[in-house]
Order: sequence, then C-alpha cells, then structure tokens
Amino acid sequence: MRLLLVEDESEIQSFLQQPLADAGYEVDAAKDGRTAIQLASAKKYDVLIVDLGLPDLDGIDLILQLRRSGISSPVLILSARRSVDDRVKGLEQGGDDYLTKPFALAELLARLRNLLRRNLVTSEEATRLRVLDLELDFISRRASRGEEVLNLSPQEFVLLTYLCRHAGRVVTRSMLLSEVWGMRIQPNTNVVDVHIYRLRGKVDTEGREPLIKTLRGIGYVLKDR
Amino acid sequence: MSSKIANPVMRSAAWRISLWATLAFAIGTMLVFVMLHRFVANDIQRRSDAWLTGEVAVLGDVAGRTPKDRLYGRVVGEVAELASREVPNKLRSNSSENDSVFFLQAGDDGTLKLWVGAGNGLPNLAAIRARKFISDVPYDLNVQGFNQPFRIASVRLDDGSHIYLGLSERDELRVLNNLRFRFFCLWLLIVLFGSAIVFFVTRRMLGHVRVITEAASRIGQSDLSSRVPTSKRNDEVGHLALTLNRMLDRIESSVHQLHTITDSLAHDLRSPLTAIRGKLEIVLSGDLRVEQSEPIVSAIDELDRLTEFLNTSLDVAEAKADALRLSLTEVDLDELIRVMIDLYEPSMSEKGLRVNLRSAGSVTVLADAALLHRVIANLLDNELNHLSASCTVSITLSASENAATLIVEDDGPGFASEIGLQMFKQRVKGRDSQGHGLGLAFVEAVVRAHGGSVTASNRPGGGALLLVTWPRETGEKVRASHSLTLEAIS
Repeated sequence: MRLLLVEDESEIQSFLQQPLADAGYEVDAAKDGRTAIQLASAKKYDVLIVDLGLPDLDGIDLILQLRRSGISSPVLILSARRSVDDRVKGLEQGGDDYLTKPFALAELLARLRNLLRRNLVTSEEATRLRVLDLELDFISRRASRGEEVLNLSPQEFVLLTYLCRHAGRVVTRSMLLSEVWGMRIQPNTNVVDVHIYRLRGKVDTEGREPLIKTLRGIGYVLKDR
Repeated sequence: MSSKIANPVMRSAAWRISLWATLAFAIGTMLVFVMLHRFVANDIQRRSDAWLTGEVAVLGDVAGRTPKDRLYGRVVGEVAELASREVPNKLRSNSSENDSVFFLQAGDDGTLKLWVGAGNGLPNLAAIRARKFISDVPYDLNVQGFNQPFRIASVRLDDGSHIYLGLSERDELRVLNNLRFRFFCLWLLIVLFGSAIVFFVTRRMLGHVRVITEAASRIGQSDLSSRVPTSKRNDEVGHLALTLNRMLDRIESSVHQLHTITDSLAHDLRSPLTAIRGKLEIVLSGDLRVEQSEPIVSAIDELDRLTEFLNTSLDVAEAKADALRLSLTEVDLDELIRVMIDLYEPSMSEKGLRVNLRSAGSVTVLADAALLHRVIANLLDNELNHLSASCTVSITLSASENAATLIVEDDGPGFASEIGLQMFKQRVKGRDSQGHGLGLAFVEAVVRAHGGSVTASNRPGGGALLLVTWPRETGEKVRASHSLTLEAIS
C-alpha cells in the first residue's frame, strides 16, 4: 500500500511515519502542495493524507487539482480548524474523510483502513460475522458466543458489530461516538466507557476468555487471536 | 395574523407621513379659503349697502320735494319702482313679481303711508317697528313670511315720517353659497391631489429604505460579504446605504481578523498537541507495566481535556463576537435527543440517576448539527456531573410555530446561589464542579448565535431548570422544514 503524506509540520510528519510504516504502508512525505503534485503525478498512491494548512496551497485546492489531473485515490484530510467548512463536507460526500487535530493514532489508522476498504466489502460479511467464538447474524440481528445466545439491546448489537468489524484493531471513543451514535462530540464524561462496560458484562461472562480489552488512554480492542 | 397582512399600507410610515402632511395642508388651504370668502362676502355687503344708502337718500329727497298731493304716492312709487330695477347681484331667473326690494314710508305715528313691493307691507312695517332703535347705517331685518332677511336702509323726512328701503339678501346669499360650493370643490381637489403626491413621493422614498432594510436583514452571520444596494443620489437614503455598507465593511474585517486569530491560535496549538499525543500513544503501545503506563494514560487524558477546553473557549469567544461560522441544516431535535439519551442513559443509571423524556414527536429546526450535538451533550454532561444518586432528570421538548422549547430540569440541589446571574459567564462554576466552567457558557453562546435564548433558574420545589428556546422561522429554508414537520405530525 503506497501512501502520500502531505504535511508541513515536521513534528507530525516524523511521528506519523513510523506507525504508518508499522501498519504496512509505504510512506512518501511532501512538505508542500507543489511537491505533493509532483509526487502524485509521478507515482500512483493508494491513499493520501493531506493537511489543510499548507504553506503554498490550501489543502482543498490541492485535492481539487489532483482530482482534475485524474488522480482519484481516496484522501484523508487533516484539519486544525475546529469547524469543518462546507468544502470539506463536500469532499467527504465524495468519498474522502477528514480528521481534526489532535487525533488518536488509532483513529487515523482506522480511518485509512475504512477509506481503502470502501470498495471491498465481502459478501459473507454482509449477513454474518465471526470473531473467534463470537458470531453475529445480521439477518436475525442476534449475537451468540459459542452455543449461548447473547441478550443484547439493539444499540449494544450495533456497538458490538462495530467492534467485530474492527477486530484486532484499536477503536477510539470518538470513533465509536461518530460511527455508532453518529456524533462528532467529545463528552467530558465517560459515557462510552459505561456502554462498553455493560457490553463486556454480557459478552465476556464468567468462565469465558475476555474478548473486549480496554487500552487505557487509547481506546478498546476486540481480540481476534 | 390576517389583519396584519390585510392592510400593510395603513401601517406604513409613508401612509402616516402623508396623512399628517395632508391634514396640515388641508387646514392651511381651508384657512386661506375662509379668509377669501370673508373678503368677498364683505365686499358684496358693502356694495349693496352703498346702493341702499344712495337710493334711500335719493328717495328721501324725491319724497321731500314732491308736493303731498294725490300724485305724491304715484311719483314716489314710480321712482322706487325704477330704483328696484337696478338692484345689485340680481338674478334673471326671478319671477316677474319683484319681491327682492320694498319701499316703505311710515308716518311718525307708525302708520303705513306708502308701500311699493310684494304683498301689503304690513309684516315689514311690524318688523321695522319691532326694532327698538333706529340706526343710520343699513341693518339686517327678519320679516315674517320671508326666508331670507332684508337689508334695510332708512332716512327721516322733515315731516317726521320715515322712508325705508329694504333689499332681500336672497340673491346675495345665493351668490355666496355658490362661491362656497366652488371653493369647497376646489379645496377638496387640491387636498386630494396634494395628499396623493405626498403619499407617492414618500412611498417612493421609503421604498428605497425598505429595500435597504430587506437587504440588511438578509446579511446574516454566515453571509457578511453581501452589501445593501446603493443609489447614485446624494440624499439621506443614499447616505444611509453608504453608512451601512461602511459599517458592514468594518464588521466583516474585524470578524475576519477574529477568525484569523482563532484559526492561527488553534492551528499553532493543535499541531504540537497532535505531535505530543501521537508520541505518547506510540510509547503506550509498547510493552509497559501498569505503573509505567499510568502516567502516560493520564497525560493523554489531560491532553484531551486541554484540547476540548481550547475548542470550547474559541467557540465561545467566536459565538460571543457573533462570528461563529454556522452551516445550517435541518435537524430533528426529537430524534437527536433520543439518541443522546440512549448514549447517556447507561452512565446516568450507573450513577443512580433516572432520565425521562416528554416529547410530542418530531421537531425540526435549522441548526449547525455539530454545534447542536455539543449543546445537548453539554446539557446532559452538566446533569451527570452535578447530580447525586436517585435524582431524576426530566427533559421536555415542545414546539410552537415559531420556536422549539427544550426544558431540562432535575430534582437535585439546584444552582448554587453564589453562581446566580453569572451562570452563563465563562469559567463560572459551582464550588464542587469538576468541569472547566465552560459548559453552560458554550450552550448559551451557541443558542444565541442561532437566535435562541437560554434561561436558568431553580425550581420552586428544588432542583435546577434550564430552558432553551430555539427559533424555527429563520428565512427561506424554513418553509421546507415546516412542511416536513407537518408531514411528521400527520
């Protein structure tokens, strides 16, 4: 997987490169819009990360220029602005995604995977999903662990589905808030923790191997090994 | 509503201005006409008086010189007859009988000695004798059997008898009536014409003002770049438009400056925060013992709180300066609150709090969805942070045609009196509060930026009550949301 990172802050560029490489991306970095255009027209990238505040060019104009020159790879937009302006929303509808700074690394990786995965949904996943002995049936909307059927509320089922779809990978609170509840908020309270705590009470019952793991300060992960 | 729309002209300033202008104009022209009328009436009177005194002197002379024989009556009668032919203001349409002039000679004993005129002259003599005094100047006399008074001039003869010459004021009054009618018609025409001109001129003038007002009201927080139309004329209205546009220029530039400052502040702080957070996460993802990871975890938590604080303070600052960039969409408050309660309910019940919702169904408002989400989350965070176990939070959502009303109340300790009116100020919080004191300031700032209001009070039975009013009628887009709401209700 080739990735082009367009970011003028060297601090951020340097700390992102290692985790991205660890996640299996072949990373090229550009510090400004011109370099980005040169690189993108020379090589084909599977995904791009573009910061909006570039020294020579507005990030959105860069994306639009790339699109005009026929480069259609998905873009993850990084923004230091608080309110996301309408042009970013327009791009989001066009299949790209955005993330506001500061972000959790896990979330950046998850959103990159989402961008790349959008066109490859397997047909098996559409009806049923299996992680170890946990099984989700999307037609009857029932979850079971081994032989035991889990008694989940509809909300808990959606939450567990999201964790299963990202099994083995870190999921952050703000990812859960935006994907499960459809909100981009940062609550001061531990509202998401309580949902996970309750779900864990139903999924990881006595005598079974705990599947939902909390990574303090980062998020949660559903074990798949 | 319908009566308001029924007569918009009556409520306009143009109407009021032209009404007062017309009134002043009408009174002025009326005064001019009244004076003119008096002048004409006096002139007519003076002329007929001059004729009367002249004629009566001639008649007195004739009567004095004519010998008092049998021919006396005929001679004087003939002269009187001739004189009455030259009556001023006489109308040709009169009947053949001459009833507009009489001549009367009365002896000093009060008997009728000679009479020329219509009828037998007795009522005329009676009316003359009824007068207490005899004056040398002509005077008015009402005679029984005649509708109009007579103007009488008299002269005393040497033998003690009096000669009276009477002229009916009928013709004179007819002339004056005619004049009054013409004056009235002319006055009415002038007033109507004048008021129409005043009305259309002021309406045209105020029409420019209205165009400016409409344009100015379209310039909202999100659209500071448009300007009111200016005219080339160098009058007050033109100045108004120019001044308004200059004011908008200044506002736009200061809002732009504020955005630049907050954006660069946000950018300069966020990028290092991102770098710090990322590095901490990398450390955390390595193999660490619990006691090693604990400080890093709490550092990340602190960073997240710092970020949230930064976001909220900048939002509050922008909202207070009326510079919040809103991207309005239709949001169903009912649906949003249900999802929010769904999100918060486990935390609440974990803490021993109950939450219930009363809502009549879908309530669509125009709002910036992301900000509205945070407003509701702040309200619920506030309850979650401040209430102790076994309290109940009641949320009531209702809507009228113009506004959506959201009431969040609880039966907890209520707002501390020390907070009082400072409730919505930044960094004001209760003694035991854990937050950074921006929650309600943010709620208020955002709601006000959308044109709504928030009030906080303590319930009479104890507990806090927050009332949020969100406007529903804000321009063109509302019509669409309106029909959506109606569909949802039906």
